[in-house]
Amino acid sequence: MLNRLQISALDLRLSIMAGVLVAMALVFHAFTGNFLTPENLYNIAQQTAVVGIVAAGVALIIVARQIDLSVGSVLGVVGVLIAFLMYSKGWHWAPACIAGLAVSLVIALYQGSLVAYLGVPSFVVTLGGLMSFRGAAFLIADGKTQPVSDPTFLMFGGGLDGSLGPAASWALGLTFGVLMAWNTVSRRRRAHAHGSVLRPLWFDAGLALFFILVLLAFVATMNAYVLADKGVGQGIPIPVLIWGVVVMCLAFIANRTRFGRYVYAIGGNPDAALLVGIPVKWVTLKLFLLLAAMVAVASVVQVSRLNAGTNSLGTSMELYVIAAAVIGGVALSGGSGTVLGSVLGALIVQFLESGLLLLDVSIGYRMVIIGQVLIVAVVFDVLYRRASGERTT
Amino acid sequence: MSSPDASSPLIEMRNIYKAFGGLHAVENVSLAVYPGEVVALLGHNGAGKSTLMKMLAGAYPIDSGEVRVGGKAAAIENPADSQRLGIETIYQTLALADNLDSVANLFLGRELTTRWGTLDEYAMEKAARDVIHRLNPNFTNIRVPVRSLSGGQRQVVAISRALYFNASALIMDEPCAALGPEETRMVHDLVRKLKAGGVGIFLISHDMPDVFGLSDRLSVMKNGRTVGTYRTADVTEDEVLGMIIAGKKVTRVGECFAPPGGAA
Repeated sequence: MLNRLQISALDLRLSIMAGVLVAMALVFHAFTGNFLTPENLYNIAQQTAVVGIVAAGVALIIVARQIDLSVGSVLGVVGVLIAFLMYSKGWHWAPACIAGLAVSLVIALYQGSLVAYLGVPSFVVTLGGLMSFRGAAFLIADGKTQPVSDPTFLMFGGGLDGSLGPAASWALGLTFGVLMAWNTVSRRRRAHAHGSVLRPLWFDAGLALFFILVLLAFVATMNAYVLADKGVGQGIPIPVLIWGVVVMCLAFIANRTRFGRYVYAIGGNPDAALLVGIPVKWVTLKLFLLLAAMVAVASVVQVSRLNAGTNSLGTSMELYVIAAAVIGGVALSGGSGTVLGSVLGALIVQFLESGLLLLDVSIGYRMVIIGQVLIVAVVFDVLYRRASGERTT
Repeated sequence: MSSPDASSPLIEMRNIYKAFGGLHAVENVSLAVYPGEVVALLGHNGAGKSTLMKMLAGAYPIDSGEVRVGGKAAAIENPADSQRLGIETIYQTLALADNLDSVANLFLGRELTTRWGTLDEYAMEKAARDVIHRLNPNFTNIRVPVRSLSGGQRQVVAISRALYFNASALIMDEPCAALGPEETRMVHDLVRKLKAGGVGIFLISHDMPDVFGLSDRLSVMKNGRTVGTYRTADVTEDEVLGMIIAGKKVTRVGECFAPPGGAA
């Protein structure tokens, strides 16, 4: 059955995680009565975006058997710099963001070169980065908070005005729905033209319909969140839109490009990757640069969400990001994991945080629980890989 | 590659040296293969045969010496250079990424792309199906990660690379070491087929039946140096073992640096 429907162990695992997510939502709703409300879901979507954007990039880094512990600190440096340029230097937000991106890329060039070309373990390089760049975030503005007030810039963070509104949200949702349906049709057509075995039509159609319905349900929920003094629905928050674009871009890179293929090959067998002529060092460096771009994007969203750049921006975010990736099914041993999984992982972490918060669980217990959930996820991961034959030990 | 003249060497390695730190892995080794010829390379573990072949494959840089391919001096600095010269290598480890499927592994490093520059999965799958079918018609689950395949199937994936990319020269490092009798026969048939098609093959092997059944010439290495290079038909198994173990050159017959009927 699984064979005939061409469901891989990976698809099955993603489905299980999506099931866990739904179960969590239902349980929290049963206990709190206000978990599955447009307001709460809107806030969760918004709050998850920053971690989600970075987690999507970190997922690929871990797939390639590397790690980046410095993402939180780099996010801090970039965020403070952008806010500093806007507040203290009077820059327009656009060049300030470009400067932030440039700094993020330069840092990645430095750390990535050490890892890729000198072979220094990325754990060590980025552990150093974790401390150094946190310090640098302090130095840029002398530890002073840099408030930002540009209304356009503040839209990136969501909030009151940072969403698409109902009409644009529906338009976007429907457009993507049509694109997904078209994608399924054209994939089937191409597979048929090349003599590949097709999945049963009912299954492909059902799958496409399911995803389209999830998408439209999401749009409907976001539109159903109406602020009292505004009178119209909020629609898709801009940070979530940015997160969506990032995930689509990274998933495309991972699945459809040579670079993405090489990332997985390096993670699966670095020696083989070298022997077949893959430019392993260059691919590794490019991967760090790609993550840096994601960190810069996340940084813009975060500064905008907080209306300020502070030197504590992104503190201990690396832990949430790595947790999201690992809970999302990325194996720390490399070669396995998906960008989409990182989305589910980030949502699971945020569901847990929000749900426990609504249940009035204190911060101490929340940390205890989330830490243990991470371990449960990894235990599940180990057992699942053993059962699906991916691991023999 | 244009079809080479059978009387001139396809690949010629001259006075090759390679050292790792203070260890001389390969010292002043010269070896050639002609079109349609199988040259067996023998020696103990650490004799330098795999190192020599890895230099030809571009996996290690050559310290000094010259490689000529099709009569022209060739600079091989990385695996891609070697592949571009029409040299394919089947490593003992097979060089497969276990997490990827057979199609991805066949094309690894040389993926087919669409006109948008994205991976052309369907074209690759079709091509892979064809070439793998030629090797083993029963092997159809080419879309599962290669970690779940049998040793013989994994070998087929590694060999299919050489077949698909139309190698003019092939390096096989212990191709039958992990295979059962049926799969060994498959590899032997393939070697003969490629040989008949004019491919020059370097065969690293410990297995005497492999060597005597397949090779035209053989070359024995010990401690990084060549002991001797002979026509396979001229020497006996005992003499070959004497060269491998004791480094004792055979004097009963002359050495042979070109295949029978070749330039020599």
